[in-house]
Parts: sequence; structure tokens; C-alpha cells
Amino acid sequence: MTADPHQSDEQTRTASATYLPAAHYSYDQLAELYNQARTDYIVPMPMNGRRMAEYVRMYDVRLDESLIARDPSGADAGICMMGVRDRRVWVTRLGIIPERRGLHIGRDLTLALLDRGRALRATHVQLEVIEGNAPAHRLFISLGFVERRGLLVIRRPPAPSPGLDPAIGVIPLSDEVIAVCLGSRRDVPSWIDESASLLNGGGLVGWQIGTPDGRTGWIVARASAFQLSHIVFDSPDVQFTGLLLATLHSQAPRLDTNLENLPVDHPHWAAFQGLGYVESFRRIEMLMRL
Amino acid sequence: MSRIVLIEDDANSARLASRLLARAGHAVEVAVDGGDGLTLIAAHPPELVLVDLGLPDVDGQTVIAMLRQTSAMQQVPIVVFTAWPQETAQAMMTAYGCDGLIVKPIDTRTFVDQVNRYLLVRDDGHVEKL
Repeated sequence: MTADPHQSDEQTRTASATYLPAAHYSYDQLAELYNQARTDYIVPMPMNGRRMAEYVRMYDVRLDESLIARDPSGADAGICMMGVRDRRVWVTRLGIIPERRGLHIGRDLTLALLDRGRALRATHVQLEVIEGNAPAHRLFISLGFVERRGLLVIRRPPAPSPGLDPAIGVIPLSDEVIAVCLGSRRDVPSWIDESASLLNGGGLVGWQIGTPDGRTGWIVARASAFQLSHIVFDSPDVQFTGLLLATLHSQAPRLDTNLENLPVDHPHWAAFQGLGYVESFRRIEMLMRL
Repeated sequence: MSRIVLIEDDANSARLASRLLARAGHAVEVAVDGGDGLTLIAAHPPELVLVDLGLPDVDGQTVIAMLRQTSAMQQVPIVVFTAWPQETAQAMMTAYGCDGLIVKPIDTRTFVDQVNRYLLVRDDGHVEKL
């Protein structure tokens, strides 16, 4: 995208749209615009202002770098947000209001964000697109993104507490130890499951367990009043992961669980299935070097 | 007549569905998000719940999970009412112990019959789950 020299520093324009920083909008306005843009999405997941604010905080979304597109009449046409961590940026919440599609606003919005990422000296950009969203996938491929891996969004409704062998030692983790555990992770999480996301979100619970045969590991999750989410763990094997999950769910048997972005080929997926998790839908994680 | 709670954030969809059900003689209360729905149902459990999966505060699966843990709601039919892909919605419906699935956009000619399938009105006026 090329900036129009007649526009202010914060406002740029293409042939079809004008772009404003998302920071000019309230969280309620951002949520409303996002919901309008995703009303016919494959898996619509609307937000309210409170959830939008939480999303921005947890995922280090920079509203001053995120953009709202307005069509030539001045009406809001689309949104695209950007998270920033170190030298990486994350493109998220891209959506164009249905009546304003076909004007390449999505492409221009994404290009504008990539420009902003370069200006921040980011070296990589990443995003997730839901599997089956062919237009968005085509757009990202055309811009130079490459697929990194498939990701599962999985759910587990509350269920009776799984029985735990009393010989297994279970130790609750303090906030300090949780932070140490998160700092020692060896997995390659998606943006929303990175340790920064968990620490930003707060509400973390965790346990270390040990088996009589000497195996040890830990599990950490985010627990809200209604839901467990953002589950991360360190486990020597799939059977042990089942024990970690059983520990988690025995501690919070009444909470629903929503786990996003488990790699499709995760070697411990069977442990989740064994505890009653079911696949909801899939995403594709994509990367590009800036 | 049955009392139905519709938990649906899309105003157009809620308006259409509630109008059709009201015309068929049902009393419909609309909750615009999960929190409102839980509050409404806790105050007065209905005879059937239609719940969207994509809600702006607490998502539909979590709402269903919370309802199913309420003793007054364990026998009340809960029907998923969603625009999600059929396969995904079906998987969630089954996993969360729902009684049925109605995919949006609704067919106005068959919607009331679809809902009535989950209700059985006895001669004495009581409503039972089919």
C-alpha cells in the first residue's frame, strides 16, 4: 500500500478505502465492527467489548498499529489487528463487512499491516486462518505466506472427575513456579498459547505430578469462572499427559474446556481424546518473513 | 403453548425465530448473550432452550455445559441453533449432550415444526421431552 501524502500521519488511503488506527475506536466499537465483518464467517465467534479488551491485552495487540478501513462514503468497511512481540508480528481479527467485499480492502488492510510490521523492524509475521476459508487462504498465499502446520480447536464438556491413582504425587504450583515452568517450555506454541499470552491473561492454575516410577511433569491452564483454556504442559510421554489432564480436570470438574491451537500432529493428541476432548474445527498457521 | 428461551446475539435471526414461534403459540424470551441467558433461565427454567454456539460473552458450549449442571435443566431439551458448519455443530451437539440441532439460516416453512419436534404437548397441557 502506498501512503497518500495529503493524508495525516495516522490516516492513509488507497483507491478504495481510507485507513484509521484502531486506537480511535472504543472496545465496544471494535467488537461491533468485528462482529459485523464475521457475521457470515465459517465459524462465527462474536465478541463483546469486554472480550475484545481482554483479547487486546492477552495477545499484545497494538491498537495504534491495527487498522480500520472506511469505504469512500466514510462507512466502516473492515478491520485488521496486529499483535507485536519482539521482532514478530501477528495478523489477527481480519474481517470485511459483507456488503463491502470485492474491493480488495482485505488485501490492502493486510498489506498496510505488513508495512507497519516492517516499520517496527519485525522480521516475521504470522497468522492463523480457519481451515476451509479459501478466499482468505488464497489471499495470504498470494501475499507470500507459507503454511506452517495445522492446528486443532478442541472442546471438552464437564465430566465426572477422572479417578487418579493415589500413588501419584500431585503438587499445586504457585504463581512463581508457574512462571518458571512457562519459561522452561520446549514446545512451539501458536501466538495465543505463548507464555506471554498466558501471563498477560492471568488466572493461571498449575500442578506438578510425579509417578512412582520416577516420571515427573507439569500442567498449567487458565481458569475463568466458566472455562478452562490455554492448557500447556511438560510431559515425558502420552500416557503421562493423560495423567496431567486427569489431574487438571479432577481439580476443576465443573468447568467446560476450550483448547485452541493444539498442533494437528501433536504426539499426545490421543491423551486428550482419552479424556473426552472432541475436535471442533481446524486452523492453519501461516508464516512469512518480512 | 411452551415457554422457550432463545439465546441468540444476532438481532435479525432472533427476531425472525421468535416471531415464528410466537405465531405458533409459544412464549419466547430472547437473551442476547450467554450471561443473559443463564440469568433468565436460572430465574425461571423454560421448557426448551435454543442456543447459538457463537455468543459474544460466554460461548454457547459453555452455556450449555453450565445449564446441564443445573438440576432444573437436566431434563429440559436444549437445541443448538447455529450457523456453524453442520459437521462441527453436530459434533458439539453430541459432545455437550444436546437434544437437537437447527442450522441457520432457518427455513421459515419448517422451523416451527423443527422446534415442536423437541416438545411433546400432552392432553393435560404439560410438556415433555420427546
